[in-house]
Amino acid sequence: MIVPSLLLGAAATVTEPVAEAAPAHGEGARDISGVLMHHVTDHPFLGLPSKHLVFFVLAALLVILMARLALRSYRAGRVPTGMGAVVDGLVVFIRDEIAEANIGHGDGRRFTPLLCSFFFFILVAALLGLMPFSATSTGNIAVTLALATVSFLAQQWAGISKYGVVHHFGGIVPPGLPGWLLPIMIPVEIISMFTKPFALMIRLFANMLAGHMVITTLLLLVPLTAGLSTLFGISMIPVSLGLSLFIMLLELLVALIQAYIFTLLTAIFIGMYAHPAH
Amino acid sequence: MDPKALAYFAAGIGAGLTIVGGAAGIGRLAAAAMEGIARQPNAAGEIRGAMIVAAGLIEGVTFFSLIVTMILALKT
Repeated sequence: MIVPSLLLGAAATVTEPVAEAAPAHGEGARDISGVLMHHVTDHPFLGLPSKHLVFFVLAALLVILMARLALRSYRAGRVPTGMGAVVDGLVVFIRDEIAEANIGHGDGRRFTPLLCSFFFFILVAALLGLMPFSATSTGNIAVTLALATVSFLAQQWAGISKYGVVHHFGGIVPPGLPGWLLPIMIPVEIISMFTKPFALMIRLFANMLAGHMVITTLLLLVPLTAGLSTLFGISMIPVSLGLSLFIMLLELLVALIQAYIFTLLTAIFIGMYAHPAH
Repeated sequence: MDPKALAYFAAGIGAGLTIVGGAAGIGRLAAAAMEGIARQPNAAGEIRGAMIVAAGLIEGVTFFSLIVTMILALKT
């Protein structure tokens, strides 16, 4: 079931560049990079100003819908089945392995809803981007900036709500340091407070962007080689489709891994501020 | 030389160096993970989990330099 839809996705993306490169731009290899950038950057969609924003809202609505459908099977205290079982398995995994292992037994439960939101949203947004004629909203740096900002605020809130503002910022430097090390350690710790969410942002953005650029580039090999000779172009079609099918399967794995890593690192950083017991 | 030509040249070298660093790091990680699983097959699940996390982190750093390379290649 997945293979035909992936092939449909490959076929859709291969017909789009061919249809656009021919009439709109006119000739050859010069405009291939234009088509590539058109496919991975943001532009108006169906009259709305931003395609990435449309799919961002769509991913959020899908996550809410998934949660609602999952809750339905919990009614009257039954064992959850169907969508409820899937969501249940993932949420229990996030609560036990990610939240409680890294934040601590009491605090882990407080942060589990936030971590579940991150995980499900990033996963659904990435999977949605693999459909034909869609876009990955987390492939836009503004979206990952927003996710990283929420993560940063959660990290600060974890420390401030437990220890108060003064002790939170007082406690970021490990205790028991020799005095001459403080002028180095304090700026380093303050900068690291900002580089951690920055790294989260860049990692997610670059993974999503790079995957789609590779797929689009492999599919654009067909018109590129067809510009040299039609026979060469036609013989590239099975090669290009096969490679991009493989990369799309890899993208499924990358979507899961990136959602897991974002959630895990957020939990680790929250744990570092909630329990600064160096 | 035309600055745009220099930028493309630098982007090419940058992409090559990026993949050297990233693949070397993840290759060593995979080798250590294989050895660990070979020594203790019933720790395979945990080793696999830790390997995937470490590979994701190394790949994140690789992508930082890839972003710099892309900026060089796509600046008009």
